[in-house]
Amino acid sequence: MRRRRSLLAFLMGLLLSDLARAEDILVVANPSVTLGRSLSTADVAAIYLLRMTLWPDGSAIIPVNREIASDVRARFTAGVLHQDNASLIVYWNEMHFKGKLPPVVQESEQALLAFIRRVPGSVGYISGGGVPEGVVVLARLPVVATGGGGP
Amino acid sequence: MPEHPSPPRSRSAAALVAAVLALAGTTSAARAQDIESVDSYVLGQGFNVGPVNFAGYSSVVLAAPDQGRKTFSLEDLSLYASAHVGALFNPFMEAELTGLNLVPWGKDGGEGDGGKGYLVLERLYNDIQLPDGFTVRFGKMLAPVGDWNQIHAAPLVMSTIRPAATYRGSSQYATGLSVLYSDPQARWPDVQVYWQPMDEFSARPDSIVDDHYRLVEGLHVSFPLALLDKVGFSIQRTIDRQGVEQHLFGTDFRYTMDQWSLQGEWVVSTLSQPPSLHSTRDLEWSGYVAPSYALNDRWSVYGWYEVYDGRGSMPLLGATQELAASTAMPFGNDRVAQDVLAGFAFRPQPAMVFRLEYLQNVGGRPINPTGLFASWSVLF
Repeated sequence: MRRRRSLLAFLMGLLLSDLARAEDILVVANPSVTLGRSLSTADVAAIYLLRMTLWPDGSAIIPVNREIASDVRARFTAGVLHQDNASLIVYWNEMHFKGKLPPVVQESEQALLAFIRRVPGSVGYISGGGVPEGVVVLARLPVVATGGGGP
Repeated sequence: MPEHPSPPRSRSAAALVAAVLALAGTTSAARAQDIESVDSYVLGQGFNVGPVNFAGYSSVVLAAPDQGRKTFSLEDLSLYASAHVGALFNPFMEAELTGLNLVPWGKDGGEGDGGKGYLVLERLYNDIQLPDGFTVRFGKMLAPVGDWNQIHAAPLVMSTIRPAATYRGSSQYATGLSVLYSDPQARWPDVQVYWQPMDEFSARPDSIVDDHYRLVEGLHVSFPLALLDKVGFSIQRTIDRQGVEQHLFGTDFRYTMDQWSLQGEWVVSTLSQPPSLHSTRDLEWSGYVAPSYALNDRWSVYGWYEVYDGRGSMPLLGATQELAASTAMPFGNDRVAQDVLAGFAFRPQPAMVFRLEYLQNVGGRPINPTGLFASWSVLF
């Protein structure tokens, strides 16, 4: 009986762990990006706030964003950038006027991955699960789920 | 009179064509792996053609001053193009059509001195991006005096009418060399130093600017407090074509708290006049403070109060240039202008804004005309 309880607890732990990882956000990039280390949350924020614009090899960073209604963007915006959408749009519009391009918007995870596979230097984010083919993972960021909705 | 023999619009157009050709030619040769075009166009983000992003903004203004002629004009139609190819090659170009009367209105049918529009080259530069947040910029750029001048596009700023403190009495442009520092983690202040050792490239005509500068140099330091909040300090030294040397010191801020935001700027300049000008003015100062309140995601109310003690008495930008001519008032003894503005804005989407505002001169000689102003502005 005791062994059954232990086994059950172990299985529950595995399940919860897997669920928690599924709520992570994966930061993925074109295979041309080779860092040799993981990006920190601060690095990712610096990329999307257009403060970090070059990869270490000198090539341009092209950040890719999801459409404003997506749940994964909501989690990324709140959990990684620690901002709200309205302020970010104002900020990106100002930066665009100053000559820095805002993140490119892609309307689905498939479109985002296709873009990243095509464009050297591009980087984006997806819900944590399996690692898609044709991209490299630069970071797995634990982000609290906002609830509801799919990627 | 302009010092250059050719008409200003011709010179600007030639410069624009040269800039576009230069940008197109160099970008196409510089990068083989073009960025894909964006699948879906998002208003305000422009569109990509190969490695070049094209974007811009427009602003239509209805001005109804209490005195003088009413105007309905295309205040700005601006197009900017940028390419980000790598560390060494990041060109940027902005050209603008400004001050074009759309409806002949008034006793002379809008055929006054202004209102025919000008094509001007606002910016043309290349950035060399260095490691650790440093950038070397050369070309024609906006001079970083305060915050408003650096984001002066109508859809981005608070009001239709611009406080004089944000553009008068300083050089809005610098043609030359600049070094910028932006800490990727925003732990240190953003810094920009700049130097213009000669006349402004593709200078705007005398009819729409007050001064032309043959030397501009300065420093701007901005401490980021939050995503949009900051405190900045500006220093600028200029020598204009008349030989007037000016040292400007300024500070600006922007602070947001929930639905409230507050911004402002304060500048003080000392002047050294050549004896031939016979002028006794050796100090200018001006400042404004502007609160705003967001009623919801789309509606907001805003206002500003400004004091201004500087050269000139009327603005000379775009449609308001016409107002300057049509509402000119005799100078009073009190040279310090005081203006109050109040209005509301409606943003059906982030890249578009409608504004309605009223400006009242409450003291001193007018620096902006009292009256009602409405505008529609959009980023594209």
